[in-house]
Amino acid sequence: MTRKLTAALVAGTALAGPAMAQDTMTIGITQNNVGVDSYQTTYESAFIDAAAANDAVETVVLDAGGDVARQIAQVEDLIQQQVDAIIIWPTNGEAVIPAVRKASQAGIPVIVTNSNIAEQGFDFVASFSGPDNITQGARAAEIMCDRFKALGIETEAEIVQISGQPGYTTAIERAKGFEDRLPEVCPEVTLLETQPGDWNREKSQQVMEAFLVKYDSIDGVYAGDDNMGVGALNAAKAAGRAGDITFVGATNFAVGYEAMEAGDYWGSIYQSPVDDAEAALQTAIDVLNGEDVPFLNYFDTPKITQDNMGEFTKPVF
Amino acid sequence: MAALTREAAGRLLARQGILVAFAVFMVVFALANPRFIDIGNVAGVIRSSAILGVMALGVTFVVIGGNLDLSVGSMMSFSTIVVLDLHDTLGPALAIPAMFALTLCLGAFIGILVGYLKLNSLIVTLGMLSAIHGLTLMWSGGKNMDIADKAGTWFGIFGRGDVLGIPVPILIFALLAVVLSVVLSRTPFGRKVYAVGGNGTAATFSGVPRARVVFLTYILSAFCVAIAGLMQASRSLGSQNTVGQGMELEVLAAVILGGASLLGGAGTIFKTVIGVLILGFIQNGLLLMGLEFYVQYVVTWVIIILAVWLDIAAKRSRLWSPIA
Repeated sequence: MTRKLTAALVAGTALAGPAMAQDTMTIGITQNNVGVDSYQTTYESAFIDAAAANDAVETVVLDAGGDVARQIAQVEDLIQQQVDAIIIWPTNGEAVIPAVRKASQAGIPVIVTNSNIAEQGFDFVASFSGPDNITQGARAAEIMCDRFKALGIETEAEIVQISGQPGYTTAIERAKGFEDRLPEVCPEVTLLETQPGDWNREKSQQVMEAFLVKYDSIDGVYAGDDNMGVGALNAAKAAGRAGDITFVGATNFAVGYEAMEAGDYWGSIYQSPVDDAEAALQTAIDVLNGEDVPFLNYFDTPKITQDNMGEFTKPVF
Repeated sequence: MAALTREAAGRLLARQGILVAFAVFMVVFALANPRFIDIGNVAGVIRSSAILGVMALGVTFVVIGGNLDLSVGSMMSFSTIVVLDLHDTLGPALAIPAMFALTLCLGAFIGILVGYLKLNSLIVTLGMLSAIHGLTLMWSGGKNMDIADKAGTWFGIFGRGDVLGIPVPILIFALLAVVLSVVLSRTPFGRKVYAVGGNGTAATFSGVPRARVVFLTYILSAFCVAIAGLMQASRSLGSQNTVGQGMELEVLAAVILGGASLLGGAGTIFKTVIGVLILGFIQNGLLLMGLEFYVQYVVTWVIIILAVWLDIAAKRSRLWSPIA
């Protein structure tokens, strides 16, 4: 009896599979932590809009709330629901690998979005869609170095770094890109210290306050995103030292853009969550349509500074 | 002779063990980096501890009353986001009382559930931690909330201003600590809080309205959270939705570190203030030492355990006390 039922189910699924692929494809997404910052919030609404605009796509939109265990459960739910593809914004680059492997073994292609999983999981991933965070870090180092050259302090400048959440791939990659590139372009600039600001403006402000006490001379601050960059700027302003410091961030936020307009903040990396979300959806669709998709499917994130900010619209987040 | 001085020292330790532990940490950190006791740094640490501190003052009442409040972090995010949003729609003069009213409603709701429906406070406030976070996100739509005209508002005074050279957050924290210390130790209400937390049954038979006392501790806690939210919003004139996330545990750590009993009935405002300062100075001291940050998490925990152990050992006047 049970065997018959299973056979019927298998047959049913086999019939439904190709038929569904022609009509609509169901794409499930499990996001990292919507609401923790405006980037992720804007990403989610852009994703939903892009999916709504495409008749061939149905979506199951989930959010892990920053919780690894919940995200793993969500991936398992999506496997149970037999979606055609799963998009995952990893809460943790390593811990989600077993769940991703399970999906891949169930024959469901997995697309990683925004921040990649660790390398040992690459075998189970169809494609990564997102920004190239190592390039972003490298570009931030170039922005910082160019500014020091313009100020004529590239031989003596001392800087500090405020990185993102420890263990988070985006944070690690941006820091690595920055730390590798800086000695190539500005070998005489010293990176005094790196501490995490956990993507949090308040935490970053406290870290910067400690840096300001500890170091009499700070010429530059590299922050893993503008939210933390603005926190550091607030601390430096309170200490009356903001004028001496070149602030460079990443993921240009509205607050960072405004601080650039005000002349307090030097530069950042322009990364649109709308581009990010649309790229992820398109990558999933391309994979399902059997198109040739590069494994690392990056979208461009250009440099933005006080000099060229007129070319960019103010971020909505 | 030697025994006598040892006894006297023991008595001092027993009463102020946590204060001694605090002094020891300060000396160690100061030796590691003299800038640690630089007046600017000390003022900076106290100022940034003030927000956590104000929340801890309220939670001290809740804990002494025999309950827990794990919702204060989410509630602080809520009050911060709400006051920032209303600042641009109603203007600061109306936004502040409106935010206080809404935050007090949340406190009253929790107070009714715990006090009058006699639900377990751990479960109620753990649930409210998520529920209030949800409310905050609904209010803001998940977006960062920023005051549009940062230069043209007087709203920054509570977080950024100073009076006679002393930062306003420190003044608010100090003033509130003094007032609440008097309330806790010198008023009938304060006595009732100890009575309800210490021995509820005895309190009932003494005619203490337990439900009302518990209800009022949550109102007081929410009031402190509203002040903390005001300071937070004023300090950065903009905020993420998660600004208070995780603070409930730091607040609880500070209160317990100060020696308040999780079972209720014991604790003082003064010791909570010391607990808050220990946490603040540990964080700052480790940053100044420049320890690898993974190590910092572990070291913070070790120091907290050491402080609690020192305090307990002093009270029992022995270091080793296995569960009998």
